[in-house]
Amino acid sequence: MRMLGVFEKGERIRHIGHLDIQRSFQRGLRRSGLPVAYSNGFNPHILITFASALSTGACGRREILDVTMASGVSEAEFLERMNRAMPPELQLSAARAVDDRHPSLMGMLCAASYEIVLRDPDCAEKLIPAIPAMMAKESVTATRKTKTAVKECDIRPLIYVLEGSGQSIFATLALTEREACKPGMLMEALSREAGLDREIRTLVIRKELLGKDEEGKLVPLEQL
Amino acid sequence: MDYNERMEKILEKVQKAPRYTGGEMNTTIKRWEECPLHFGFCFPDTYEVGMSHLGMKILYGLINREPWSLCERFFMPWTDMIELMKAEELPLLSMESRRPLSDFDVIGFTLQYEMSYSNILAMMDLGGVPLENKDRGENDPIVVAGGPCAFNPEPLADFIDAFMIGDGEDVMTELNRVILERKEKGLTRAECLRNLAALEGVYVPSLYDVEYDDSGVITAFRPNCGEAPAVIRKRVVTDLNQTYYPEEIPVPYTEVVFDRIMLEIMRGCTRGCRFCQAGMLYRPVRERSMEKLIDLAEKLYRSTGYEEISLSSLSSGDYSCLPELIRELMRRLKDQRVSISLPSLRIDSVLKESLEETQQVKKTSLTFAPEAGTQRMRDVINKGVTEEDLLEKVRDAFEGGWSSVKLYFMDGLPTETTEDLDGIADLARKVVEEYFRVPKEKRAKGLRVTVSASTFVPKPFTPFQWDAQNTIPEIIGKQDHLKKVLNIKGVHFNWHEPYLSFLEACFARGDRRIGAVLKRAYEKGCILDGWTETFRFDTWMEAFRECGLDPAFYANRVRDPEEILPWDHIDSGITKAFLLREKKKSEQALTTKDCRQGCNGCGLQRWKGVCGYANAGSV
Repeated sequence: MRMLGVFEKGERIRHIGHLDIQRSFQRGLRRSGLPVAYSNGFNPHILITFASALSTGACGRREILDVTMASGVSEAEFLERMNRAMPPELQLSAARAVDDRHPSLMGMLCAASYEIVLRDPDCAEKLIPAIPAMMAKESVTATRKTKTAVKECDIRPLIYVLEGSGQSIFATLALTEREACKPGMLMEALSREAGLDREIRTLVIRKELLGKDEEGKLVPLEQL
Repeated sequence: MDYNERMEKILEKVQKAPRYTGGEMNTTIKRWEECPLHFGFCFPDTYEVGMSHLGMKILYGLINREPWSLCERFFMPWTDMIELMKAEELPLLSMESRRPLSDFDVIGFTLQYEMSYSNILAMMDLGGVPLENKDRGENDPIVVAGGPCAFNPEPLADFIDAFMIGDGEDVMTELNRVILERKEKGLTRAECLRNLAALEGVYVPSLYDVEYDDSGVITAFRPNCGEAPAVIRKRVVTDLNQTYYPEEIPVPYTEVVFDRIMLEIMRGCTRGCRFCQAGMLYRPVRERSMEKLIDLAEKLYRSTGYEEISLSSLSSGDYSCLPELIRELMRRLKDQRVSISLPSLRIDSVLKESLEETQQVKKTSLTFAPEAGTQRMRDVINKGVTEEDLLEKVRDAFEGGWSSVKLYFMDGLPTETTEDLDGIADLARKVVEEYFRVPKEKRAKGLRVTVSASTFVPKPFTPFQWDAQNTIPEIIGKQDHLKKVLNIKGVHFNWHEPYLSFLEACFARGDRRIGAVLKRAYEKGCILDGWTETFRFDTWMEAFRECGLDPAFYANRVRDPEEILPWDHIDSGITKAFLLREKKKSEQALTTKDCRQGCNGCGLQRWKGVCGYANAGSV
């Protein structure tokens, strides 16, 4: 049996990297006393995966972890014991028991919705009006940095929703194993569109991880 | 913008932001208004170093346990963070509630090594606390310090209001109560300091006057008020089973130097190695019971989820029922996949059996500390280890499947000759031979013998406290010689440049006057001296010149046994008479027996019921 846990990565610890978050959950699972399964081999480790690594600097409202259990445990007990074992910045809001044959979350992930809070004054009034023009374009170029190179790519087909209100931009962006539009890429393109030629201070909040249901509609990943 | 917002802004730009974020598991954020006493615990080095320190975790838990006091942590920011803080005019903030250092009633520094002293000044400066105690007013915090370096408090006498000498758990609460009393009764700073001086084990340097002769040697040292005792006796926890030990310790998000449960199995050491200050200062030896340790280990595992427990003490191999302890810990924690490690393994401990058990979970490199290369030199330093002992243990390790061995030595020991240095190479060569003596099919592949040599620093309260450290050119000559003779296949040689050790020697045995050098060096930009990339030796030497002091006076001078030493007013439990006897014996390469084989009369026998091996009749 596997347990999917929906958790929040709080703002205070948004600079903690994915590997450290992973280790925190492994230790949390050990503290919880829950019957988790370990890998075989020389250095056994807890069988835990994450639907998607969250970038350093971003917070997440509904991130998802996937733990293989060694024996059965109820969703309520999993939730209760994990929340006692995790610090306030990494609390779970939901748990769902799934069969071992449940497809991998990473494979089902299609997109993510974000709130991008604009932290520089006067940015919103320039950026938000530029959204319709950018969305009307057939292609929008942005640069994607990999470990070895900087590549140009067209992000327009990867933007599903883009709107703004108040001091925030709301976006739903493609996020699969093959292609993704990172919030940074979006912001780069949007600020160019708005004629702002400087880097903008933002707080990126990943609100939801999304997959596609039978009708091809984007729905929360943990519900699939 | 409030502190939190400004901090968040900085964190977007700083390298290694996780050092500064806080919010770790098992950290405590108490309500500020509900606790009348606010203690800021300052570790004068980076987060990664500080969070590896057991003493901080003990005192953090101890202070927060009291309903009337709260404790928050402060660490030394890295240089990039300091620049950003200055640009944003952001003071040094606590990890917990992000309050500035100056908001706390009392701030406490732990003094683990001399080369963190400039960080103390930097942290106070960044935190808005006046550097010198004479400049602090009624609204400034009381600045206290403790830890091993507090046994020679004089180099910090201008900066620290009160030192805690000895075991911190014993005095911490009493000290906090006195400071709370000041707050409640509205006592002046001066009154509070006199009340602190009246506590046993507390030294308030401003209540003492020092006189020097023309050469800089102390001619008189005396209290200037009635509350200050002429001699400050260290505090001792007599029963480790009764004293506080945390059952929950903070678990950092990011990897720190020692990222594991540290289980202090005992305190003190009976070996009497003459170079070892800790071995003298932490006397007498006190063990925690097996029951207590097993209980603590299980609780700490449940509260932290750590994968590793290290048994910590000065000489874990001497713990009276070590094999049983390890076996029991492994039995109880095996299903949780917790490995047990022994950090300071002495080569003369009966450990073969235990060694086989530790590798059951994890095989790491084994560390041995023969300290010197020849038997004569080991006798001089009273390191009761023979070549046969070492080789036998190494053989056991190689047969048990280890292929990586670390050997620790010192260079620059008193009376050292070229022959003693050659002895280091001989020993390394013999270790390599032992490996090849194990049949190929039985031994693990990839032999790696790491020889590390550190430069000897004479320390207060050791028999070498009167000795000169080798000069820098002498040490460089010795290290060059070692590089040549240690060019052996399978052996890797590590050494450190002697400049830091030289400065460490100056401050280890420094007097009050050297505080001016510290301040000057800090003003000239010296911070984070323990880190190669930030250590600026030339600037330090300029600071000495500008203050009119000669560093060789502290590091390279032989002191007369009659001389008043800067730390003579501190009673560490060890008497000067004992240290002098030990000094004379070392000069003749005569060894002193382990206390467990009979009392050597170190001085602790003066304090009734403190040392289990003491015999009041001994000399």
